Amino acid sequence: MRNYSAFLKKEVLEYTKTYKLLIMLMVFAVFGITNPLMAKLLPEILRKLMTDGNIMTLPEATAYDAWTQFFKNATQMGLIVMVILFSGVLSSELSKGTLINMLTKGLSRTAVILSKYTCMVLVWTISIALCFALTYGYTVYLFPAGETANLIFSTFCLWLFGVFLLVVLLLSATLTKSNYGCLLITGAAAVVCMLVNIIPAAHRYNPISLATDNLGLISNSIAVSSLYCTILISCLLSLLFVFLSVLIFRKKQL
Amino acid sequence: MGILEVNQLFKRFGNHEVLSGFDMDVPEHSIFGFVGQNGAGKTTTMKIVLGLLKPDSGRVTVCGEKVTYGETKTNRNIGFLPDVPEFYGYMRPMEYLKLCGEITGLTKAKTKSKSEELLSLVGLKDEKKKISGFSRGMKQRLGIAQALLNEPKLLICDEPTSALDPIGRKEILDILLAVKGKTTVVFSTHILSDVERVCDRIAVLHKGKLALHGTLSEIKERHRHNGLVLEFGSAEEASLFENTEELKQPSISLSRDGNTVTALLTNHDMGGHFLLGVLSQKRIVPLKFAVMEPTLESLFMEVVQ
Repeated sequence: MRNYSAFLKKEVLEYTKTYKLLIMLMVFAVFGITNPLMAKLLPEILRKLMTDGNIMTLPEATAYDAWTQFFKNATQMGLIVMVILFSGVLSSELSKGTLINMLTKGLSRTAVILSKYTCMVLVWTISIALCFALTYGYTVYLFPAGETANLIFSTFCLWLFGVFLLVVLLLSATLTKSNYGCLLITGAAAVVCMLVNIIPAAHRYNPISLATDNLGLISNSIAVSSLYCTILISCLLSLLFVFLSVLIFRKKQL
Repeated sequence: MGILEVNQLFKRFGNHEVLSGFDMDVPEHSIFGFVGQNGAGKTTTMKIVLGLLKPDSGRVTVCGEKVTYGETKTNRNIGFLPDVPEFYGYMRPMEYLKLCGEITGLTKAKTKSKSEELLSLVGLKDEKKKISGFSRGMKQRLGIAQALLNEPKLLICDEPTSALDPIGRKEILDILLAVKGKTTVVFSTHILSDVERVCDRIAVLHKGKLALHGTLSEIKERHRHNGLVLEFGSAEEASLFENTEELKQPSISLSRDGNTVTALLTNHDMGGHFLLGVLSQKRIVPLKFAVMEPTLESLFMEVVQ
């Protein structure tokens, strides 16, 4: 426990001093600000570009469009930036040898894995919260009439998927030596999840549904209850993967 | 009982057997030189002692406690300095030692006083820079400071002087000498002059086994040869001497390097006067004629070949 808090402090310091936290916050802040703006401006831009010859009626932008942008950006660009940024979570310390000093000082390997995971989840939580808050504020400002269903729940699902993705990343990092290996396994895992999602029966049990059903949730076309099973499975898998990561890392030859 | 005991250690990486039944015994309060060629398995042995690598078989004990692979409790008695110590570059020396103190379980006050003491020992007391701006030698010195933070009974240094300039090397060796009374030091190296300078005991690792061990004077005594070194003025003289018929007998072995011929005489009745006789008979006056003292280098070469 003492090890855990000491190393967690070091992790937080590292993310701050190496600008990783700053990069995450900036990326998500930019998304947060542009989401409602894009929703608002895109129809205007299209209208301007259109010549008199082809007239197309564009629907008026709504709060729903702003949130569409939010879920698209955060799930696509946001998660990718996060995975790339965190891919060196173990490999950078192992290849440089900074962790060896700590381990020979009696730092427990379990504490290494747990504190690294905690810190990643922390950074992700802050980033997504910031992005959500900015999008929310601008959306209320730009589309005062809009009302969106299940917003918090849908964002929670997205957050949980991020948490799940991070544990997959952590497990990959314990399995490989380089950050590319780590990226490869995480990418492969995401692709497998997507492929499995083709089978409609698997949809309820697949963690990736947490990041694909968000729009359905806010437009009320997908029932909240249909995701309970996915949430449970994602949580269980996350716990299992943390456990596996610890187990593998404890036996890893350094 | 030694502070570090290694018994019948075996380790192979793929097809390459690095350690094949290696034994080592380090008594307390010594500076122990652990010598071997590059790739002989010095680092592997150290990593096994630290529980970072898993031996195929064999037993390692530190202070009488068995080392287990993975999470090992024995590390609390050990301070380790890796060959190229790396630190979190965004920290300053004091911050780094504070982190080490927290991890190893020292109190805040103790960490602070100990850090200051060690930083002044290694000459980094007034260094306020971030570690990323440190030179190799400074990192090495900080490495020693962090290794000594928890007052370990055993300090293990992996080639601490290999990459340093002469001044840096001297500084590191002086630090090792300074801590000798408080802790046992094991340091691996292939720089034999360093070993002669500070070590009281050595072990030579060759082909995965212990090839030579003991105190320096013991070893030198044991390996004293009846050897002579002759340096000639020209290559012709050297080859003339080397090819003399009288010297072609089993008890004499000659080796030549440029104009220098080294003669090892295994027959104790046959001394330098025999060679002097040959020289005068051939009418050669060597530039130098010297009795060979066994150097660590010659012993090392002998063992390794």
